[in-house]
Parts: sequence; C-alpha cells; structure tokens
Amino acid sequence: MKAAVVGLGAVGRRTVNCLADDPTFDSVIVVHRDPRRMGPIVEGWGDRVEVRRGSVSDLPAADVTVVALASGQRRAASVAMANGSHVVCATDDPTEVRGLLGLDGKARTEGVTVAVGTVMAPGLSCVLAAHLRGRFEMVEEIHVASFGTGGPACARRHHSALTSMAVDWEDGDWRRRPGGSGRELVWFPDPVGGADCYRAALVDPLLLVPAFPGCRRVTSRLEATRRDRLTSWLPMLRAPHPEGLLGAVRVEVRGWVAGRAETQILGAALAPAVAAGAVTARAAVWAATGRLSRSGSAGLAELVPAPGPFLRDLARDEISISSFEGQSGAFGDGTAAAGEF
Amino acid sequence: MKALRRTLVTLGVTLIVAGVVRLRGTGGTPPQRGGWRELPADELD
Repeated sequence: MKAAVVGLGAVGRRTVNCLADDPTFDSVIVVHRDPRRMGPIVEGWGDRVEVRRGSVSDLPAADVTVVALASGQRRAASVAMANGSHVVCATDDPTEVRGLLGLDGKARTEGVTVAVGTVMAPGLSCVLAAHLRGRFEMVEEIHVASFGTGGPACARRHHSALTSMAVDWEDGDWRRRPGGSGRELVWFPDPVGGADCYRAALVDPLLLVPAFPGCRRVTSRLEATRRDRLTSWLPMLRAPHPEGLLGAVRVEVRGWVAGRAETQILGAALAPAVAAGAVTARAAVWAATGRLSRSGSAGLAELVPAPGPFLRDLARDEISISSFEGQSGAFGDGTAAAGEF
Repeated sequence: MKALRRTLVTLGVTLIVAGVVRLRGTGGTPPQRGGWRELPADELD
C-alpha cells in the first residue's frame, strides 16, 4: 500500500515518523515544494519514505493521503479524492473543518473516506468520547478540554481562537458565545494538573454532535493563561515556539446507566504534536485497510467503529490513556468518576 | 477640556476594573477525592 503526506509542520513530520515505522505501507511519499530545504528532517525516515517535489494541485496517487497543511485542506482533499484516495485531514481550524465536512456527499459518491480533525482535540478527543459511549445507555453531555499547542500554526490558532466566537451545542441547537468567556478549572492528567480553560473557536462540537444524536450538550474549552487572555486581541507579541512539549486532553461524558446518572472521564497528557501525529497516522492506517466505518466526510467519533482497538494501537505508539476515578460530587450517589470540577 | 478629562478618567477606570475582573480568581475548585489512573491496554475494550 502507498501513503502520501502533504504538509510538513510539527504534525506532518510526526505523522511521517509513525508511517515510516508502520509495516502497512510499502511506500510513503512526502510531497514538498522544495525538497532541498527539508534538511535534517528526512534523516531516520528509512528507505520506504520518498520525498517528491510537488504541490497541492498535483498530489500523487495513493491509497491514503494525509493532509497536514495549516490552510487549504479542502482543496488538497479534493485533489486526493479525485485520485481515488482516502483522505486524513489533521486540522483544528473551524473554517477548514466546515469546508471538509461539506465534501461528505462527494466523498460518499466516490466511495472514499475523509477523516476530519485527526489531531489531539479534535481527534484523540473524538475517539475517547466514542470509547466512553459504550459505557452508557444514553449520553447526555460531552465536555472536551485541551491544554497546549503543537507547532507554530497551532499556536497561532490557539491565539486567534480566544478572540473568536465559540460554538457549543445546547438543547438541540448551536449556541454562540464569545471566546475567552466561561472560565472553568479543569483537572488534566499528570504532569499537567489543574488549568483554567475557556470557551474558544474550537471544532470538537462540530464533529461530536453528528456522532451522538440525541446528546443534549457538547462543549469544548481551551486552556489559556492570564497573559493569553490579556493579549488575545493583539497580534502575537513574539514568534511561537517550534513545538509545544506539554499538552493534555480531557473528555468528560455524562449520561445514564441503569437509571442512574453517571459521569466518566478519560484523558491523556503528552505533547500535542506527538498525539496529533500518532492519531493521524493511525487514522491513515485504518482508512487504507478499510477499517473505518463508512465512506464520506466525518470526524473520528463517527468513523472509528471500534475505539478500543484504535486506542490500543495508539498505546503501541506510547500514548497512554488515563481514567479519572473518584466519587461524584455532582450526583452524590457514589458513581465511578468525579463530576463537577 | 474638563469633560474630556472626565471621560478619559472614566474610560481608564473602566478598563482597569474590567481587566481586574477578567483576570483575577480561578475557574473552580480542584477535585477533593480521586485521581487519574493509567489504563492498561487490556482495559481499553
């Protein structure tokens, strides 16, 4: 099998690292405008990785195409679909995600799958939510929170997300609220611990709502410091770091089990680009081997039919999932997980 | 001139108060009981 990768930021590089180590693919073609400028990035990728000069408009034919560009994902996905390739899009940009979800009809017609939002949040968050779904008779609420940024493009998105409108799902309708509002102390797995999180222009609700019909509330929050909030309306005051080394995601699902209200929480703490690269690579393997649930364009909560095996595959990439266990303060009935905090 | 000065002072005080309200405090209390437990691969079913 053959995979193609376009976009070599922090997430793209991590994805190629994972794909180069995966025996599923005979060859991995990395498309770059100027391969001479890639420098030491290519070292250690092995013989199966081929670097090819090219652009978004002339992507090579492949079983699956990974699009890890900061912008122009819909165009790249359309070109890949025209090649008959499944597409995996590593993006957390609301505009890109809406555009990619708009390809659903075309993707279904052409019988290919477009996996949208395969980073830490969305991506890992969607798989964790899908995994928790199996523990409930009915899911009422999903709350996602994330901490940290991947590469520079992700840091810029984080900065702009705090000043854009957040879109949450409440009682069967979309509700828009200003980014930077709704402060909530969220407890992430160690070593991150507690961090204040806020509403922001995030895409988890856009991908989770179609996967959980009947769910009453879906919200998403982003960690931000006081400096982030104070300066969010300004241009970035200094250049973003090459890659964030500390990150975390936490997914809280509330629902009903045997007539009891219950809350379950899963999370993971790791560098966001590492998580994004592993989730994207795993989604590419599952797409190429026909293990995703359907053709069309959707998030991983809809497309991954067996979240447990997907998470076990990620565990082999040294991504460990943690569960918050304690007593629920919210429901006061001694349920298995902690509730409101 | 006096009106302008009063307007600027009012705006300044408003900005300071808004900044303090926006930045102070925290978003809740940490969990009192429980903690994170890493899930072994065989529990991911």
